[in-house]
Amino acid sequence: MKMALRSVLALVTLTIVTGAVPAIAATFVVDDGASAPQESTALLRWRRFAPSRANDSNTLEGAMAVVVRLNLAPWTHRTGRVFLALPEQGTAPVRVSWTTQGRLLPGSIAPGNRVLVYAGPIATAVLEETLTLQIEADGSRLPNMQRLKFHFEIDVD
Amino acid sequence: MRATPAGSTGIVTAGALAAFLICGQPARAFTVNITAANPKAIYLQVGVGTFTGGNYNAGGTPGNNATINTVSVSVPAASVGNSVAQAMTTNSPQAISFYDGFTFCNLPAQVYIGGFYRNTTNTGAATVTATSPANLINGTGDTIPFTQISWTSSGNGDTGAQPFPSGTFVGGVQTIGTISRNQWAESCHTFSYSNTSIRPAGTYTGRVTYTLSSP
Repeated sequence: MKMALRSVLALVTLTIVTGAVPAIAATFVVDDGASAPQESTALLRWRRFAPSRANDSNTLEGAMAVVVRLNLAPWTHRTGRVFLALPEQGTAPVRVSWTTQGRLLPGSIAPGNRVLVYAGPIATAVLEETLTLQIEADGSRLPNMQRLKFHFEIDVD
Repeated sequence: MRATPAGSTGIVTAGALAAFLICGQPARAFTVNITAANPKAIYLQVGVGTFTGGNYNAGGTPGNNATINTVSVSVPAASVGNSVAQAMTTNSPQAISFYDGFTFCNLPAQVYIGGFYRNTTNTGAATVTATSPANLINGTGDTIPFTQISWTSSGNGDTGAQPFPSGTFVGGVQTIGTISRNQWAESCHTFSYSNTSIRPAGTYTGRVTYTLSSP
């Protein structure tokens, strides 16, 4: 009976510990303090110079390149998934899409979301990539200046 | 027996650690500032205008057109001052709307008036005003009050109120209509001379200037 009880307890313990693994592999904010937009401000222009009769063509658009440098040193020789995140910032509706040079995945994002840009082994301590951002904003609700604060997150396996 | 509590403690610890790592690590982020390069734009066209690259719905953009169109009427001698309004006609060739190329106005009876107002911030509508002199004048100094000239407003296919409604010149500055933010507005004006008094023969002229002002 004691042996059987120990087996059950061991199984319960194993199950609990297994359940704990995702918590250990939770999200970390990646240090990208060396990242730098190539311009201080992205100038957005009306997609359609003139508005419509129905007030439904108010998209502003523009582009900007950002050199991102991700400090992945804490997770080298592990595998993980890196995400680009754009938290809700209480600003005018925006959508940002980007292309890359191949080290990260292209994609698009709206505030309040994060998008996968890398999945696999972390082989290098610093990952450098240039993102060319295409930014769209609602021109009927854009204040004089709006700041989009991005960051990167990593889920380590 | 100790394994179970130890495992449970391990879960709590791991969860707390993860939370600490997310919240406690120095926040890193890159910031992109965005702003409108040309937050405001206005366009007004009275009579003939210019759009390049096609109509608006084909991606065209407005251009400058310095043409000053005329609206005129020749009153038959037998009708002078009989209080029967005389329909005026224009030399403007602008029948279509540059919005979509639709034949919005009827020539030569109507003058196209339209435009748009762009702004990223809501500070109210743009206003179209007309400035007319007190009188039309002929070569010998005889006059006709500008208040003798009125217009009705319409547009082919339109229903409901016109953005630039019917009116009468006041011989001064007056509001012709408004354009809401980020909208295109247009009407066709049909002018007439009220012909309520006998005037010396002659050609009477006067110029009205239309102005679009954004807040």
